[in-house]
Amino acid sequence: MDEKTELVSGLAAGSNSPAKANAWNRWRQAVRACLGVLPGSLAGVAVVAVVTLCAFRLHLNLSTASSLDFLIVVVVSAIWGFWEATFTSLVAYGCLDYFFTLPLFSFAVSDPQDWVALGTFEIAVLIVSRLSTRVQGQARAEARQRAQVEKLYQLSRRILFLDRSQTIGPQIVSLVQDIFKTESVALFDATAVRLDATGPRAGDLEQLARRAYFQDTVLEGPGGHTWATVLRLGSSPEGAIALSGPELSRFAVEPIASLAAIALERARSFEKEGRAEAARQTEQLRTTVLDALAHAFKTPLTAIRTASSGLLEAGRLTTDDTELAALIDDQAEHMNRLATELLQMAKIDAAEVRLRRERVPVLTLIEDVVARHREQLRGRSVRVADGAAPLEVQGDREILTAALEQFIDNAARYSTPGSPISVAAEENLGEVIIAVHNEGPPIRPADRERIFERFYRAEESRHRASGTGLGLSIAKKAAEAHGGRTWVVSEERTGTTFFFALPGGLGRRYESVAG
Amino acid sequence: MSQSQGRVLIVDDEVAIRRALRNTLQGMGFLVEEAPSGEAALRLLPEAPYDVVLLDINMPGMGGVRACQEIRRTWPQLGILMLTVRDSEQDKVAALDAGADDYITKPFNVRELAARIRAAVRRSSASRVDPDAEIRIGAIELDPARRLVRKGGELVHLTPKEFDLLHYLMAHAGLPIMHVRLLRAVWGPEYGGELEYLRTFVRQLRKKLETDPAEPAYLLTDSHVGYRFADAKPEPVEEKA
Repeated sequence: MDEKTELVSGLAAGSNSPAKANAWNRWRQAVRACLGVLPGSLAGVAVVAVVTLCAFRLHLNLSTASSLDFLIVVVVSAIWGFWEATFTSLVAYGCLDYFFTLPLFSFAVSDPQDWVALGTFEIAVLIVSRLSTRVQGQARAEARQRAQVEKLYQLSRRILFLDRSQTIGPQIVSLVQDIFKTESVALFDATAVRLDATGPRAGDLEQLARRAYFQDTVLEGPGGHTWATVLRLGSSPEGAIALSGPELSRFAVEPIASLAAIALERARSFEKEGRAEAARQTEQLRTTVLDALAHAFKTPLTAIRTASSGLLEAGRLTTDDTELAALIDDQAEHMNRLATELLQMAKIDAAEVRLRRERVPVLTLIEDVVARHREQLRGRSVRVADGAAPLEVQGDREILTAALEQFIDNAARYSTPGSPISVAAEENLGEVIIAVHNEGPPIRPADRERIFERFYRAEESRHRASGTGLGLSIAKKAAEAHGGRTWVVSEERTGTTFFFALPGGLGRRYESVAG
Repeated sequence: MSQSQGRVLIVDDEVAIRRALRNTLQGMGFLVEEAPSGEAALRLLPEAPYDVVLLDINMPGMGGVRACQEIRRTWPQLGILMLTVRDSEQDKVAALDAGADDYITKPFNVRELAARIRAAVRRSSASRVDPDAEIRIGAIELDPARRLVRKGGELVHLTPKEFDLLHYLMAHAGLPIMHVRLLRAVWGPEYGGELEYLRTFVRQLRKKLETDPAEPAYLLTDSHVGYRFADAKPEPVEEKA
């Protein structure tokens, strides 16, 4: 907060000419200072007069009288201050000169020794009173500082106990008001775009706080009684605070601003934490409900499939009956897939809140997925390109598996029956790209984007194969949850390739293991 | 169907599943009893010599995993097949950790279920067989005494670790072997997390043994769980009508 401090003039009154007002203020201050010195000086002069008279009557010599005056001036400087003491010392000098040096009753001095005595008296008295005033000033400043540190400590302690369920701004404002006995306080919270103020000059200070924030600076009002400073934590301004009161200095305002900034930030992080906790609970609830639902679906499906496949296995059915039993079996399996995919979709939706990231070797991922679809891929050749071997990605294994499974399932379902499927992976420009290629009729250009939408199925595919319309949207969601993307390239001649790109590959080669 | 294929105890809290399974398995020649919970299963088991228990993982009461542990403690030879509902690896691993021989995910095809039951039945009798007896599955022959492997009659050269790995898998043919168990059995008890080791060896074994290493017929992968050597009597699985 070391930037320029701008002097804000004529804050209270909407003054027309700042320069004129300034001069007027300076005059007023000077007059007030002179008036302030008056009582001490008069008292000092009175005492000096009395002592001089007594000394004269008692026929004391110059050195005794000057010692007495010396004492008086030091006492005056101790009680009132330097200027009072200086005034008193000058009067004392006059009295000593007039009554105690030859010729008497004249300001002239005939003996040079008297000159030396008088000069020494005046210089010594000035030095001593100056020193004494300075020491006192230091003691007073120390006391003020101690009081201020105590107040700041109090503020920092009480900031810890602010009520988190209430808005933080008004609490900070009233806390500062309470501890520092300021006249008015205003706080501008830039993140919440909120102004809180208290005291008779609340309106002015609100304006000032806003100005300090937008100019990103420290503003000082006339007489050093009004301050506004920007609140920052780190580099970016978070808001501003404006204060006015008789006992404020820049050295008090800056720590108050820091504490207010910390209090705002603290409240904000508590709020964030609360939101994260709520999101986590929602996610947990959803997973629990979905798990229960999946279980509820799968139990009757298990009974149906057991019965239907059991009927087929027993081999006691007529041809028509076999066909019907096979239909039940087939459709039960379809329904099972639908339930599984809905569950996967929900899991990926939830994963946007929380991914369980780990290092996943790409080749292992591909091999696992191909192994899972062994039944479906029977009789077709599945080629995995060598390029996948050294690649690894950071991701949620379960979700990546679900995504790649959709590509493999899609390739198996919509390609020319019996045609080969190939899977390749490579790292390119910081992305790991997995590609699944199959032969077969191309996807119409109009459909290439839309097939990744939930429940969208291209016109032709609807009649060709049974699908749920969820598969590719799962792959897309999974990629997006990892900050990646999916797309398809499809041509009559070359076939269809689905791409799955994940950011930040960890091109690592496995340590080779010799048998 | 005239001769019993084995005695099976079905443990599932869902009546519909128990009924469907009982009728189907009886039709396939198994002797079937049923229990609605793990506690009931533990009461029924001492009453007759069972070969296999079908145990649902998700049941009220003691639950499938604990029931599996209890059963395994008392009947180490009994075949245990866990029925899991979610297709999640944690469940499968939990089941195998608890001592299950195998798992099958609901909903399943009964033909596959029957094949798994038969493999489990075989395992419970196989442990009484001489460990040095020759193992022959499909075209693969393994002679533990002479440490030789043949494929279709021709000698295949394997490194010692490859041989041990194949031997362990073939000795437990048809059942899933978890990565950790495989690593510890072949490499030693201090191993367990070196999955890439295992994958490299399996890849090499596939190159030497499989007709098409990309489409293995013998050395099968159980996603996220482990490996499984093909069943001793591979059932020809035809496509459905």
